[in-house]
Amino acid sequence: MATAEMIKTIAQAPDKEYYLPGHRTCAGCGPALAYRLIAKASGKNTIFVGPTGCMYVANTSYACGPWAVPWTHAQITNAGAVGSGIAEAFKMMIKKGKIKDEYPNIICMAGDGGSIDIGLQAASAMMYRGHDVLFVMYDNESYANTGIQTSPMTPYGAATMFTPPGPEIPEAKKFFPKDPMAIFCGGGHPAVKYGATASIAYPVDLMNKVRKGLAQEGPAFLHVQCPCPKGWTFPANRTVEIGRLAVETGMWFMYELEDGVKKWSILPKQLKPVEEYLQTQGRFAHLKPEHVAKLQAWVNARVQTLGLEVPLPPAR
Amino acid sequence: MPIKKRGTGLTAVADAWQLADIDVTASYPIRPYTAVMAEVAKRIANGLMKCEMVHGEGEHAQFSIAHGASMAGARATTGSSGVGVAYAFETYSPIAGGRCPIQALIADRTLDPPGDFGSEHTECLNLRDNGWIYGWAENAQESLDNSLMFFRIGEDPDIMLPQIVAMDGYFVSHIAQDYEMPDQEQVDKFLPPFKPQFRLDVNNPVIMGPQIEPEMGPPLEWDRNVVMDRVKEKIVAVTEEFGKIFGRKYAPFVEEYMTDDADMVFLLQGAHAVTCRSAIRYLRQAGYKVGMCRLRWFRPFPDTALKAILPKFKVVGVVDTNTSYGAAGGSGVLLVETRASVSEVPGKPLIQGFTSGLGGETITHEEFFKMAEMMKMTLEAGRIIQDAVWVNFNDYLPAVSEVQAAEQQVAQTKE
Repeated sequence: MATAEMIKTIAQAPDKEYYLPGHRTCAGCGPALAYRLIAKASGKNTIFVGPTGCMYVANTSYACGPWAVPWTHAQITNAGAVGSGIAEAFKMMIKKGKIKDEYPNIICMAGDGGSIDIGLQAASAMMYRGHDVLFVMYDNESYANTGIQTSPMTPYGAATMFTPPGPEIPEAKKFFPKDPMAIFCGGGHPAVKYGATASIAYPVDLMNKVRKGLAQEGPAFLHVQCPCPKGWTFPANRTVEIGRLAVETGMWFMYELEDGVKKWSILPKQLKPVEEYLQTQGRFAHLKPEHVAKLQAWVNARVQTLGLEVPLPPAR
Repeated sequence: MPIKKRGTGLTAVADAWQLADIDVTASYPIRPYTAVMAEVAKRIANGLMKCEMVHGEGEHAQFSIAHGASMAGARATTGSSGVGVAYAFETYSPIAGGRCPIQALIADRTLDPPGDFGSEHTECLNLRDNGWIYGWAENAQESLDNSLMFFRIGEDPDIMLPQIVAMDGYFVSHIAQDYEMPDQEQVDKFLPPFKPQFRLDVNNPVIMGPQIEPEMGPPLEWDRNVVMDRVKEKIVAVTEEFGKIFGRKYAPFVEEYMTDDADMVFLLQGAHAVTCRSAIRYLRQAGYKVGMCRLRWFRPFPDTALKAILPKFKVVGVVDTNTSYGAAGGSGVLLVETRASVSEVPGKPLIQGFTSGLGGETITHEEFFKMAEMMKMTLEAGRIIQDAVWVNFNDYLPAVSEVQAAEQQVAQTKE
C-alpha cells in the first residue's frame, strides 16, 4: 500500500481545484461541497464515475461538466461495474504496454440510492472482486434529484414525497436506515481493507480519508454525509452547521475501519439530545415526542453497537 | 498459416477474440453462450490470451463492465443468452449512444416462460431499437468471421458502435463443425488495434455521457440514425476486403441460394438456412421453383438490398424463429421488417409470414415442404390466403382444412 500524503490543516490543502464553478447545484449543496473536497484531495490523476443522481443531473445539465479531470456517467444501477471495467482496462492495457498511463485514481461518486439501494449489487460485486477503486457514497439521505423521495438512508421520521406524514402514518418514514459501513466494511467484503465515514463539515478529515482510500491497493469505501438544504428543509447557509450538529447528536458517527480495526475520527465528549438536530430541519417538523424518543433510542443503541463510550441523553 | 479446427460456434468466437487480442471480457454463466467464457478462461489460465476476465454478478454488470473498459480504451467483449440478454437491457442504449464499440456474443435462447434452453431469436431482436449493429451467423466459421468483421466495422472511427455476433443456440453454439482459424498475420492486416479518438485519459480530460437539455438530444439521435447508413457502406467494403485477405467471400447483406429462376423464396436468418438449403434441393427435384434469401445482417436491416432482390420473386415466405405477439401480420419481427422494406416497391412480391422453429425445434424438411406448398397456393391464388401462419398450428393446406372439417363432423356426431 502506498502511503497517503496527509493534509494537516485547511491552509495546507492544495489550492488547485478539479471541481470548478459552472454547475447548477442548489445553494448550500452538501454533495457539491463533498465533490470539490474529494477532487481537490485526489488531484489530477483521477477519473470519476458518476452514476445518475444529483451529482450527475445538476452538474452536467448542459452537456458540459465542472470537472477538470475525466468524468463519465454511469447508470444509477452500475457505478461499481463501470468502475470495475475501467480499472481492469487500465491494468491490462498498462501491462500489455498498449498505453503509457500511470494507473489512475478511479473514484465512483454515487449517491445513497446508487450505492446502497439500486446500486448495491454492482457496488458489492466491485468490492468483492477487489478492484482498485474508491467507492464514495455521498449521502444526502434521499433520492434528491427526482424531488426528494425516500431512500434506505432516509432517517426514521423524515418526510419525503413518498413518505408524507398523515393521520394514518404520523411519523412519515417508518423504517430505520441501512448501515453501509457494516454492509461494505463489516467483514462481508474481505477485499475492502479501508472504509470510513466522513462529513462535509470536517473537510480536512474528509480529504485525508480520500487519500487513505486511494492509497489502498484494492477497493476502499467512503460514506460521506452531505446535508441537503432542499431535501432536509433548512436554510442554505446552514449546511456545514447541520453536518456538525449531526455528529454532535449522534445522528452521524465519524470513524475509520482499517484492516478491521475501528478508529474514531471524532469522539464527542457527550451527545446532545437528538431533538436539537431534528428542530433544525423541516423534514422532521411533524414528529411527536414519542417519535423523537424512538429516534433517540435508535441513536443510543447505535452508540452501543459501535462501542462508543459517551454519556447519552435519555430516551424518553 | 491458418489452422483447420474442429469446434463449435463458441470456440470459433473464442479464436476470434484471441486473434483480436481483446483486453477485457466480462462473464456471467447462462446456457448456451457460457462455453465461450469457459474457453476464454482456459486460454487466459494457460497464457494463450492476455485478457482480464471480470466475473460480473449478472448480465447487467457484464455489459456495464465492458462499457467501462471500452471508455478506458480497451477492446472489450461480453455475451449472454435468453433472459440474461433481457436482464442487461438498461445498458444497451447507453453503450451504443456512448459510441463504445464493445462486442457481445449472443447465442440465442428462448425467453421464459417456459424455461426452454432452445434457440429463438426473440431475446436478441428485443434490443433492435437500441443502436447496436448485428447479424446472425449460420455456422462456426461464419461466427468467427463475423466476429472479426464486426470488430472492424464497429471500431471504425466513422462508426464507433457496439456489435452483437448472434448465433442460434446449440445449432451453431454447440454442434461440432470444421472451420478454419485464420493466421495472426492475416488478422493483424485486417483489424488494426483499437485506438479511440476519445478515452478516459487524465492528460486529455473528457466528459462522457453528460445530461443535456431537450433540444440537444435530437441532434445526437440524428447522428445515431445516420451512422447506420454509413454502417451499410462499411459492410460492403469490409466484407469485400475480408474476402480478399481470408479467401472467404460472403454476400454483404443477403445470401441468395438457387434464386436465379425462382418464383418463390424462403427468407430467414441463422442456422436454419442449413436445413433450408437441403430442403430446397428436394423441392427442386419435385418441381418447385424455390430458393432462399438468408439475411447476414439484421441491424442495420438490409432494406436496400431487399428492395433490389425481392421483386424478382412472386412469393416470399418469411420464416420467423421469434415471437412478436400482436405484431402486424401476426408472425414475427422479420415479417414486419421485410414487408416494410419493400412496401413501396413496384412489382413487389406477396410476402407470407411463417412462424416456425420456436423453442429450439429444428425446422424439418417436412416443415419446409409444407411452407413451400402453402407458398405455391398463395402464388396460384395471387393473394395472401392467410396471414399469421404458425407452422403445424394453423397451416392453410387443403389437407389441413379437410382434417379440420372431419374433426367438426366427428364432434357433431358425438353430441
